[in-house]
This record gives sequence, structure tokens and C-alpha cells, in this order.
Amino acid sequence: MVKVKRKPLEEIAESVKGYTKILNVGCGGCVSVCLAGGQREVKTTNAELTLLFEEKGINSRVDGYTVERQCNAACLEELDDLVVRYDCLLSMACGAGVQMLAERYPSKPVFPAQNTVAIGVDREIGVYEEKCRACGRCVLAYTGGIWIPCAWNDIYIRLKQQNRLDDIKKIHLAMEWQNSTPRTIVQPQYEHLYAKEEK
Amino acid sequence: MKKNTKGVDHRKIKNILDKNKAKIELSMKACAHCSMCAESCFLFQARNKDPRYMPSYKFLKTLGVIYKKKGKVDRVTLEEMKPILWKRCVLCTRCYCPMGIDIPYLIRTARSICRSQDVYYRYDEDA
Repeated sequence: MVKVKRKPLEEIAESVKGYTKILNVGCGGCVSVCLAGGQREVKTTNAELTLLFEEKGINSRVDGYTVERQCNAACLEELDDLVVRYDCLLSMACGAGVQMLAERYPSKPVFPAQNTVAIGVDREIGVYEEKCRACGRCVLAYTGGIWIPCAWNDIYIRLKQQNRLDDIKKIHLAMEWQNSTPRTIVQPQYEHLYAKEEK
Repeated sequence: MKKNTKGVDHRKIKNILDKNKAKIELSMKACAHCSMCAESCFLFQARNKDPRYMPSYKFLKTLGVIYKKKGKVDRVTLEEMKPILWKRCVLCTRCYCPMGIDIPYLIRTARSICRSQDVYYRYDEDA
């Protein structure tokens, strides 16, 4: 799942500086699972921000609301009536959620409260490890299930263990690094729904 | 026995119910208990077809109960709904209803009601 880490409080406060009514929007998806951007973390962040505002004599108020998924338009519907009451939005979701909010409410400034770090695995409660960079061309089939960067020794050991050293000798096309441009995914069974009509 | 409704802000629950009334009402009436939605739920399949994982069971035992009671539910009832709403459903939105009921919407609405009362699943609570 997507793993995120909250930005330093001062950085968040700086981004919403000058706005009086702030709505902090949490997400019940991946960021809740990695204990960084769910309803509880929204409450904690808001409490910390409120304290900071008081200390600095800033006359701003921050409220919270958590939707189930910020990356799904249907889940944002319940925010429509609420958003109009605020000057700006703070998002506790990943980068995709932030952009979905910004797209739905183009007249409202939307600020990220998180740094989206990786697609990763859960090691312990609150401990996550990066495992994938969504390059768009998965190579794990011939790397023994090990992610490439700085891992060739691990790959060699694993493949040797599995008697698959032939895989390491194969020549593959250069990586296209498809993650250098924003991508859209349409699953093959749904392609016909979105195919453009030929004139 | 009269249930203890202390500690629940019924105004907030009623607001959510009122806002979604037409769709909830239609969905509750439209459910024919045909159980066809069950086949589309991967959790139902993965849990030996345990009927508690049927999508219809999940929305009827949560939002259905809240709606029937016009939002007059207590905190204990909402807490009891938590595992149904969060542990037995991951909101993958793949459930299918031949009557056209938007089941993910109903689960989302039930979750939203729970959240309005500060009842939500914490992913470190089972640790």
C-alpha cells in the first residue's frame, strides 16, 4: 500500500498561513493503515496546529473530517456541502488524494500535510519499508522477487538458491521509467467503455 | 429495556440520514434478500462463504439498523457495527447487486455515521 509520513508541523502551519478557516481532510484508506492520515491522526494534527496557532497568536481555526478514500470521487461527495464553509483544505491523504481534492474543489487552495514516500510493506506496527516505485514495468519475474536498486547481490543469492541463475544472464530491454510522466490505468475488461469513437 | 443513548450526538446522525434519505430508503426497500451480492464479495469467498460476509448482511446490520431506529442508536451499538463495517468490508467497491443497489455507498454512509460519533477502526488496535 501507499506509505506516507506527516510533514513537520511548522511546514504545515506555514502552508496554511493567512487562512482563517481550515478543513483538514483525513483518508480512511492506505494512510489510515500506515497510521499517518486517518481520523485519529487528523484529530492529533488539529490539536497540535491549534496549540501552535495559539502560541503564535494566529487567529485561525482548523476542523477535521475523514472520508473513506480521497482517491475516489464518490467518497468525496459528502464533503461538497462542508467545503464551502472553509477558506482552504489540508489533506492528510497521499499525493493522489490531494490532487483529487484539488480537482473537485478548484476554487479552494488544497495543501498536503503528508510526504508520500513509497509503495511499501508493513514490517511492524508503525514500521514500513519501501518495496516498489511503480516504474510501470515490473521486473520481479526475473529478479527472484527482489527489487533492483542496490540489490544485485541479494538477487544473485536468491536466484542461486532457487537454481535460476540463468535469469540473471538474460538481456532485457532498457527500463522505460514510465513513472516520469503521470499515468492513467484502464483495466483491459473496461477499455471498451472508454474507447474514443473513430470518426 | 431502554437503551442507553448517552454520549451519542443524534443530531449529527440524523443530518447524515436526512441528507441520504431517498437513496437509503430505496436501497432498503429494493433489497430482495436474493444473496446474489455474496458471490461478488471476495471476502465472502475467502471466509468459507460465511453469511456474515455477505454484502447485504453488512449493510442491513449496520445502516439498516440505524435507519430503522431513525438514528436513535447508542454508542455500544455503533461499536458493535465497527467490525462489520471495517473488518468484514474493505470497500473494494466490487460488490454487485442485480437490483442496482449501490452497496459501497451504503457501507460508506454507515461508516460516516460511525465516524461522526468518533467510532472508527484503528489499524493498530489488534496489535
